[in-house]
Amino acid sequence: MNKKLLNKTTRSFLILAVIILLVSAPVFYMVSHFLYIYEADEVLVFHKEAFLKESKKNFTEADIATWNQYNRNVDIVADKGMTKDSIFSSEYYDSTSNENEPLRVLWSPIEINGKKYTYIEQSNLVIMEGMVVSIAVFFLLVIAVLMIGIIWLSKRSAEKLWAPFYDTLGQIRNFEIDKNRQPQFIPTNIVEFETLNKSIGRLIEKNTAIYQNQREFIENAAHELQTPLALFQNKIDSLIQFPDISEEQSRLLDSLNNDVSRLNRLNKNLLMLSKIENTNTFEKQPIVINDYIKKNLNFFAEQAKSKSLTIITEFTENLEIEANPGLAEVLINNLFLNAIRHNEENGKIVIAIANNAITFANSGSENALVSEKLFNRFAKLNPSGKGNGLGLAIVKKITELNHWEINYAYENDLHTFSVKF
Amino acid sequence: MKILIIEDEPEIARSIKDYFKPNGVHCETASNYKEAVSKIGMYDYDCILLDLMLPDGDGFDILKALKAANKTEGVIIISARENLETRIEGFNLGADDYLTKPFHLSELLVRMQALIRRKNFKGSNTVTFNEITIDVFSKSVTVNGIKLDITKKEIDLLLFLIGNDNKVLSKAAIAEHLSGDMADMLDNHDFVYAHIKNLKKKLTKAGSEDYIQTVYGLGYKWQNE
Repeated sequence: MNKKLLNKTTRSFLILAVIILLVSAPVFYMVSHFLYIYEADEVLVFHKEAFLKESKKNFTEADIATWNQYNRNVDIVADKGMTKDSIFSSEYYDSTSNENEPLRVLWSPIEINGKKYTYIEQSNLVIMEGMVVSIAVFFLLVIAVLMIGIIWLSKRSAEKLWAPFYDTLGQIRNFEIDKNRQPQFIPTNIVEFETLNKSIGRLIEKNTAIYQNQREFIENAAHELQTPLALFQNKIDSLIQFPDISEEQSRLLDSLNNDVSRLNRLNKNLLMLSKIENTNTFEKQPIVINDYIKKNLNFFAEQAKSKSLTIITEFTENLEIEANPGLAEVLINNLFLNAIRHNEENGKIVIAIANNAITFANSGSENALVSEKLFNRFAKLNPSGKGNGLGLAIVKKITELNHWEINYAYENDLHTFSVKF
Repeated sequence: MKILIIEDEPEIARSIKDYFKPNGVHCETASNYKEAVSKIGMYDYDCILLDLMLPDGDGFDILKALKAANKTEGVIIISARENLETRIEGFNLGADDYLTKPFHLSELLVRMQALIRRKNFKGSNTVTFNEITIDVFSKSVTVNGIKLDITKKEIDLLLFLIGNDNKVLSKAAIAEHLSGDMADMLDNHDFVYAHIKNLKKKLTKAGSEDYIQTVYGLGYKWQNE
């Protein structure tokens, strides 16, 4: 699964923070617990030192019983046979809270009037334990707030930081080489982004220039071909005037005539295609599609006669569009002639106008055409056909230019092209 | 009939000249701007065929020069430049017709004839060929004074054939002439046959000679024999 870069960096950051938090909380608890016990032990030793210093001077054996009677935490008991101080943990039963409470106990050998005794002092850990817990909670809270804060801040600053990058990305995504609109990148003081923008800018500039060059080349080539084609045509026109042309010669001349017509058509179509591509704006005016078809139906019917085609028109609405008349006519003509060209003997053509769309459906080969290739230049799906492979490419260009939608389908044994305006 | 061909491609100029000659059109040629302007200054022509791209100037400047000199010659632009803007500019500067290269010589010939007829228009615009008279203005045809029931397209075809009399016309040339703007898209010229057949039938039925000859494999010819 693809994630945004921003989310990825924040995510690893978050994982790290959680790990630190999870590890540091028990460590902190243990450290503070250790420190507290260490402090408690120090207090015990300090008390003992104070007892030895202050009490020893006039402390007699007789005082021991009294001492023990009034002192709750410190007891002087008979020698337990130890040679140095010993501190250990223990617990006692507290009747008020009805539970066992932790203690630290010091056993220390002392001497009173030359006789050996053991000094026992215990220190209650109850209060401190509560404190450790609340410190830990407080600590956790601070860490959590810190973490959230840092995540929020880093996310916010990262968003700001990456803004030029996302802008560049968006502009590249929207960039179309055949549209005359160069991307304008936001100036940035980050070296990497500036380099990226400059590199992309150069790349686009170079490719646009190459593309432009290519486009102009097609147009220029087609233009340059006009004169030799004119010569070719004129010479054939002159050649057929010669008297006593044999049957074989006339067949050859006729075929030459067809070839030059075909070349002419191809060249005109190339010019048309590059004109559509190279012109920024075409003047538009309202056109009623129904009227145009009705006006030219005779012409098309004439073309359809040799195949004995039946032309059916189903106009359920008056389709008025805003378009360049020349281009709209080329669109209709190409689709209509295609429907004739790729039809079969005694076939039919159904032209329907409904729902703001025009549909040309024609009988023909019994297989659906491959629609991805259909609108490509020179994608001649029927190699024996006389078409030059540019008709549908021109149709597609015109629909793209006007933001219309063209679709092909093979329905009810009819090849159907529909243009939604 | 005398015309001037202003065309920098000598081969094209020669083709036109050779094709037009048998039909009684005398052609002079100019291959550059200077030569063209000097010829226009010296002579009067029935028509001028003008290529827009000249080695030493723009064809549009010749139109301006004609206008400035109050010349009334009809001008047909013959150009490889095919766009609406050039067309409109040409017409605005006084051109009468515009033919894009490549073209059929037969097409150029009838366009020129039509232009000269329009220029010489004196109340009537008719073409007469023996017993056949075509009134271009009212779109009617009479054979020996009897009016024919004939379609516009058939009149168009008849004018094309008569204009190119004694010339072999290819099916492509006829098809392109009859289809006008649509010509560039046609890949089938079979419909020409039907029109020729109908026209032939109508003319002969009205008592006209059968001038339309089929040239095997190539096309048709209007023969005055």
